[in-house]
Amino acid sequence: MTKITNAINAVYNFIVGDMIILVGIVLALIILIIINAIPALGVVRPFLGTLFIIFILATLAATLAREAYSRKR
Amino acid sequence: MDWVVTGAAFMAAAVEFVEAFTIVLVVGVTINWKSAIVGALAAAATLAVIVAIFGVAIVKYVPIDILRIVVGVILVLFGLKWMKKALLRYSGLKALHDEEAIYEEHAAELRARGEGTTTALVPSAVALSYKSVLLEGLEVAFIVITFGSSASAASTAAGIGGIGSAAIGAAVAGILVILLGALVRAPLTKVPENTLKFVVGIMLTTFGTFWTVEGLNGSWLFSDAFLPILAALYLLASLVIIAWLRSTKQRAISTRTVQQKG
Repeated sequence: MTKITNAINAVYNFIVGDMIILVGIVLALIILIIINAIPALGVVRPFLGTLFIIFILATLAATLAREAYSRKR
Repeated sequence: MDWVVTGAAFMAAAVEFVEAFTIVLVVGVTINWKSAIVGALAAAATLAVIVAIFGVAIVKYVPIDILRIVVGVILVLFGLKWMKKALLRYSGLKALHDEEAIYEEHAAELRARGEGTTTALVPSAVALSYKSVLLEGLEVAFIVITFGSSASAASTAAGIGGIGSAAIGAAVAGILVILLGALVRAPLTKVPENTLKFVVGIMLTTFGTFWTVEGLNGSWLFSDAFLPILAALYLLASLVIIAWLRSTKQRAISTRTVQQKG
């Protein structure tokens, strides 16, 4: 179990190493997939790209804010 | 050849190989060059095999829509990781990568372990050189495979042209770093690592964003021509973030100064 956890941790640190970025982007992807899948949300579909960009920038700002304010303390 | 893919792989490889070169230089100078070079070449061969196996497998066996979404998201994650570090360094919240300090640290470590100059092949020195080149090179291999495979999928031409282009970029960077290192014979401190990391981070995030949305059957204004607009948008947002982080840091310093005086 420890070896599996260590391996998952190693892959996580290699690809992203930041939980805010991982959660933010995965959440964004889930929302985009839902918008894409539900016909009632068809009116939002042309703005998939715009939404994803907003999510990405918000995630980047959130993780940097955490770094900046944790250093302040 | 896809010049954007080649360029991105070249810049990413340059940064990582400069970091690997520092350790190889420590091993070469402190112990011997035979061990350093054998370790480095073994790692380079391992990386070439990894890229060849996984790159071909991904392009040949993964359906294009799944490839775009999965690889796109991975590129966004990787790109944001690099952008975050670069932005923290630009804003002064994180120290710049100091190759000279890293060189001195590793050299002191080897001397403390009683490792000295010898002509024979030293297994621990080979292993250290191998490990440093492999670990730094894995990020490059990852970019070559993911970036290259999505570029291959996006292009109308068949084959693994994207991965080939990326691999060429990485190989050229590796050769350049080796030549520069052989000339300078010291840690390569003048390479603008943070700028390269920042540019590559923006490129990976840009292409990751673009391909993820395309994989979800979304479309972009002006199609492929939107890519430079998207990159400019991320660059502009980054500049705003740097200004904001610097002002936050300044306010923290001012508050601490006032508290100390009070």
